[in-house]
Amino acid sequence: MTNDAAHGPLLAAPWRECDPARTVAWQTDAHAETPWRTLETFQSDVGAWQATLDAHAKSPCSWMLSTHDPYRFGCALIAAWERGDHVILPADTRPATLEALDALDAARLGDIPGGLTASDTPHAPRWGTLEAARIAVTLYTSGSTGEPQRLDKSFAQLDAELGMHAALWPLEARLTLSQVSHQHIYGLLFSVLRPLCERAPFAAEMCRYPETLHLWLARWHAQTRREAVLISAPPTLERLPETLDWPAVDGILARIHSSGAPLPRDAAEHAQRLLGTEVREVYGSSETGGIAWRIQSRDAGWTAFPGVEVRDDAEHRLWLRAPWLSTPATWTPQADRVVVEGTRFRLLGRSDRIAKVGGKRVSLTAFDRALGELPDVRRAHCVPLPRRDGRLGAIVELAPEAVPHTHDARRRLIQALRTALAPRFENAVLPRYWRFVEAWPRDAQGKLGATCLSRLFADLDDPRAPRWLGETLDGPQSARVTLEVPERLAYVEGHFATQPVVPGVVMVRWALHAARESLGLHGVCRDMARIKFPLLLLPGERVTLTLDATHDSLHETTHDNVHHHAPDNVHNNAHNNAHKNAHKNDMTTRLRFTFTSQRGTHGTGTLTLTRPEGACHA
Amino acid sequence: MTSELEQELKHLIIDTLELEDVTPEDIDPDEPLFVEGLGLDSIDALELGLALQKRYGIKLESDSDETRHHFRNLRTLAALVEERRTA
Repeated sequence: MTNDAAHGPLLAAPWRECDPARTVAWQTDAHAETPWRTLETFQSDVGAWQATLDAHAKSPCSWMLSTHDPYRFGCALIAAWERGDHVILPADTRPATLEALDALDAARLGDIPGGLTASDTPHAPRWGTLEAARIAVTLYTSGSTGEPQRLDKSFAQLDAELGMHAALWPLEARLTLSQVSHQHIYGLLFSVLRPLCERAPFAAEMCRYPETLHLWLARWHAQTRREAVLISAPPTLERLPETLDWPAVDGILARIHSSGAPLPRDAAEHAQRLLGTEVREVYGSSETGGIAWRIQSRDAGWTAFPGVEVRDDAEHRLWLRAPWLSTPATWTPQADRVVVEGTRFRLLGRSDRIAKVGGKRVSLTAFDRALGELPDVRRAHCVPLPRRDGRLGAIVELAPEAVPHTHDARRRLIQALRTALAPRFENAVLPRYWRFVEAWPRDAQGKLGATCLSRLFADLDDPRAPRWLGETLDGPQSARVTLEVPERLAYVEGHFATQPVVPGVVMVRWALHAARESLGLHGVCRDMARIKFPLLLLPGERVTLTLDATHDSLHETTHDNVHHHAPDNVHNNAHNNAHKNAHKNDMTTRLRFTFTSQRGTHGTGTLTLTRPEGACHA
Repeated sequence: MTSELEQELKHLIIDTLELEDVTPEDIDPDEPLFVEGLGLDSIDALELGLALQKRYGIKLESDSDETRHHFRNLRTLAALVEERRTA
């Protein structure tokens, strides 16, 4: 591998080459006509995206891109780059996240409400110039250590890091399977850009579940006799089930990568035992890109990547220089504490997080530790809430039997916790807003990031919202959401003269809101059936909202049939469109909801949702 | 017995200080508002002072013994408002 400093694998733009039969992506669908999407297909897909972009805006401009699939993502990204445009990658697809980014005046692309998609007809692609200093993408940090931060990456930065990885761990025609979001730096580099730049195939779709991984590995190996590389993260590797026949796919995975959060040692061993190869963890951040790597079964210490220089200071803070930092010549401090030994280091943990509450400096880390040591507390995390004058909010994971289910129990618990902290901290800096959870809230990257934090405290700014305390997804169509009824909820006053309660219509509203947030159901409620509110829901009460969505199967069958028509036949096209429209108008979802607490069922019913017509955001 | 004014003050305290885990019924008129009892702190005292000024036109010297006396509990607070309100 030559590593020409001025010209790495990204700036070489190998997707422009004339090599029509080269395989770019592997089709995961067993019934596909061919298992491959070739470079010829990729180039015409890029052209099709460019046709859409050309019709919408003049270059240079910015686009906001989010897709489920790595392949479509790669096509849209290259299409925009080659036009001379810049691409913004939202960290998630929650309405609030996307609406905040709309202010940047970038049209939406891909699988988000109002997102433009590629033209249906093939087009020849146009190749432009990728200037090294141009901003290629804007990413957002997860915000696990504060507000989400905007980060611009130039082509030169991406190119430098891609070159390093290609030299250290060359893909060499192995298949890349991704289990992580390509909206973040790790997935962007490892799941999409590395295979594209190293001329190696990647799975066209994301590999979400262990069952899919097992199936795809077996199918890939049967078809090609070649190896694969898995791009994964701690939440997925920790949950690999023992029950699958892993020995049947042993030896197919050549490498596993994990990043996003440290992988617990036993999870690293568990994954290595089941998948038959070592986990190469990548340590880095959105700001810095990759810094170091390790194989925990060999050594818990980290080895700096080639080209990365590391040192520590008197406070054990990590400082680094790397060719892919925005200022490559400058030593940059990190929030992590380390002990450096040559090019290797051990992580000691984060530096103390400091906040100012009422003008007083407090260590949030000290609060987290003090709370974590109390009986029944498993883990705690305190954050300053900027919209509450920097008063502290505390997220506290409790033993199940200690979780409060009523206003009185919650109040007693808060008083007990404040009393326990009182000898060590001043009254004025004690946490004021408490969120008691049974399971630690995490996003897809395994972090308690800004999205989780904003959901946990959203009720403070919205007097009509319930208090969100976490959710469990039981597949793509069903979720269990833990909620608490805020005492100051605007709806509870005056419904009944004496007893404040949550009106039934509010429960319906909450169910619809949760379906949007947790299941991504954006429909409009057209009908309600079997609605019952057997028990009053009271302020301070903790409830589980269970959601089950079923899409109208009748219409999906109709839609499937449409696919069997020959798409190029003009006569059939009109017919096709008629069917498509019928399908679109009739796209209905039935949403079953139930609110239950320790006392029983408070509300239940079935809502019929229709997708809003022409849901366009542009 | 809680008077109408006391009830009003309970809502003022909860809303001004954004106490999320406290309902009016939780505030005992004879219990201390600060440190023990309701557990309010020095920042809250400042905010409460501002709210009293805005709502009732009462001006208080912060950090005086007199203020501390008025802020002892809900009853003393209600007595203060009764006596000095201009709005």
